[in-house]
Order: sequence, then structure tokens, then C-alpha cells
Amino acid sequence: MSVRRHSATPLTLVASPSPEEERRVQENRDWSRLMGRAQEGDRAAYRTLLDDLTPYLRSLAVRCFKNPSDIEDAVQDVLLTVHAIRHTYDPARPFGPWIVAIAQSRIIDKLRRDTRNKSREIALDPSHETFSADQTNLQAHLDDIISDASALKRAIEHLPPDQRQAITLLKLKELSLQEAALASGRSVAALKVATHRAIKNLRHILQRQDDRT
Amino acid sequence: MTRTPDLIDALVECGTPVQRLRPPLVRAGLWLAFAAAVVVLLTTLHGVRPDLAERLQEPMFCTGMAAAVVTGILAAVASFMLSLPDRSRLWILLPAPALAVWVSSVGYGCLTDWVSIDPDGLHFGQAIKCFATVLLTSAPLSLAMLVMLRYAALLRTHTVTMMGGLAVAALTSSTLVLIHDIDATLMILIWNLGAAAVIVWISGHFGQKAFSWVASRLPTIPTDALRR
Repeated sequence: MSVRRHSATPLTLVASPSPEEERRVQENRDWSRLMGRAQEGDRAAYRTLLDDLTPYLRSLAVRCFKNPSDIEDAVQDVLLTVHAIRHTYDPARPFGPWIVAIAQSRIIDKLRRDTRNKSREIALDPSHETFSADQTNLQAHLDDIISDASALKRAIEHLPPDQRQAITLLKLKELSLQEAALASGRSVAALKVATHRAIKNLRHILQRQDDRT
Repeated sequence: MTRTPDLIDALVECGTPVQRLRPPLVRAGLWLAFAAAVVVLLTTLHGVRPDLAERLQEPMFCTGMAAAVVTGILAAVASFMLSLPDRSRLWILLPAPALAVWVSSVGYGCLTDWVSIDPDGLHFGQAIKCFATVLLTSAPLSLAMLVMLRYAALLRTHTVTMMGGLAVAALTSSTLVLIHDIDATLMILIWNLGAAAVIVWISGHFGQKAFSWVASRLPTIPTDALRR
């Protein structure tokens, strides 16, 4: 990894096509002056400076990172640091070494961080996402699940009416005991007993079906 | 992930006026003035060692003492210089000559007076007093340096903390020699270089955390910048 150290001379920006744009670039070229005004609270100057700096910082980051999100991450890291320590800049000194030193430091920090993370982390591929056991591979057993659901539906239809009503209200419609009592006109205790018996019966019915198959 | 233009908007929104840092030499001077005040206060409260006038006649004692003080001054200047991003890393070499003289003067004294080590060289009571002096000198100086250099949390943390630690250690050591009558060479070695090594080691290992902690509790550096 290498970040080229910039000289103390003013940094050159990418050439702009139109004369108007060129004039604007020339005007804003003095980043040192812009930072001096930003330190005094001139937000317009600060915005111009940060906007101008971004492509330059990106050009530094692009030498060390390939992934576009990593490049933007590094650029943002440098911008945040510039903001945090903007009071350390002395407008009497050249701006180039100041910004390059910050960029260098943050880019190297990010490279170190990324290297550390990569040494600890393993990228997941689809083979890591499921276990080999059949029960965990839901997609492969979608048909079984659908058939299980229809089997349960059929089993519920075979229940006595009071148990069917209890299981429909409490388990399928997911009403509370009080709501189910209001809807059915039965007591809470009766619903509890009916649900308990219904589940017991459903277990027997499904077990019998399994034995048959 | 935040888009860069959005981040710029947010930063511009927080673009309040900031107080520019004074030149590093001025800041180092302020810290050294504070250090001098601490040393004067301690020597006034504790009193200087009884044989100070006599020892000041010895060239080796004076050389060692002066070298420790100069090391402290130069290391402080170096740490304030290094804390700024656009200053050369070569500032790290500034205290090296004085450090070499200091270490060699202690080492030379140790070599020539080796025979004078006796079983009573290390006194527990005196050791505790020496330790208290080390703490009373180094704690306020380290704290002042942490606060003054908190912006260095984001840049060159390790180098700055090592230099700051060296400055604190050298000045602490010269205070120790000024106050305590520690003639046994082993004691000199332990308290001069030992205390210095411990302070520099602590600075190197915990400096970054300390800087980040101080910086996050004082204005200037937004917390979100430090968390990144």
C-alpha cells in the first residue's frame, strides 16, 4: 500500500471543460483560504471546500481500495476527521501536506481495520447457510409442509363441534380466551377443556394417519 | 451507508466557528510552565534533598539532571509538533541526543558506584515516598497533556503518547532526584529509568484509549467521528 506524499505546492484539480467552470475552480483553488474562512464559520466556503476535496480524496482512496463502498467509506472517514480537527490547520501554512497527512493516516487505519476483520471473518456461502438434516431444508420439503397443513385441516374437521369451535377460535383465529368466550357464548373454563381435548384428539388422528402411511 | 453528499450536508450544518490552535511551541511552553509550577509546588511542600547544594558541585549529577530536564522539554516540544498532521515525523528524533546523555549519565553513575550498593540500598519507606512523588508529578502533567493533545486521538496517537510519556517521565525523574536522597545506584537506576520506562509503557499502551476517552468528553471532536 502506498499513498503518494504531496508536495507543499497547491494541489491541482481535475481540469474542467467550460471557462465558467475553470474560473470557479481557480477561485476555489485556494483551499487554504477556504479552510481559513470555514474555521471562522463561513459555511458556504466550508461546503465548497468539502465538495472540492471529495474527488481528490477519492483519487487517493482509489489507489488502496477496489470496492466502491470501501472507497466511499475511506473518503467519508477523512472528511469526518477533517471536520473534527479543522482547528489544527494554520492558514499560514500550505494546505496540501495537512490534508494528505490526514488522508494517509485514515486510509492506513482503514486498511489495518479491514485486514484485521478479514483475518477474523469467513465469508458465508450457501453451503454454510443450512445444515444437512432434512428438517432444516425447508425449501426442499415445501410439499411435505403443504400436505401436513392440509392433513391438519382435515383432522380439525373430524373433531366434535365444540372442540372444533374451540380450536378454530383460539388457535386458528388466535383470539384470547375472553374474546373466544364472548364469540362462542361459552365459559372460559369450558373453552380451555375443549381446547385441551381437541389437541389430544388431533394428536391421535394425525398419529393414526402417519401409521397408515 | 450514508451518502457522501449527505455527510457533507451534515458537516456543513455543524460548521460552527472554531478556535484555531496556538502554535505548537507556544502550547508546549504553556505545558512546560504548568510542569514547572507543579515541580516548584512539590519541592516547596516537600523540601529539596538535604545534600542538594553538595551534589550540584558534582559534574555527573549536574549533567544527568540537566539532561533529564532537557529531555523533558524537547520531548514535550516534539509531542506538540507531532500531534499536528502536517508536521514531519522526524520531530520524534528531537529529544534523542538529550535522552542518550541522560541514560548514559545514569548508566555511568551506576557503573562507577556499583561497589557502593549495600543491602540497605532499598528502603521500603523511602520507596513509598518516591512512588508518591512519581504519582504527584506525573499524574497532573499527564492529565494536562491528555487534555491539550486530545485532538491527536485521530492521528499518530502512538507516537504522540510515547513522546508525551517521555516528557512526563523525564520531568518526573528530575523532580525525584531534586527531592529524594537516593544515592544507592540501584535506586537511581530503578527510579530514573524504571519510572520513565513505566510511564512511557503506560502511555504507549493506554494512550489511545485515554485520548479517545478525553476527546469524547470534551468539545472539538464529535463523538461520531471517534466511534468510526
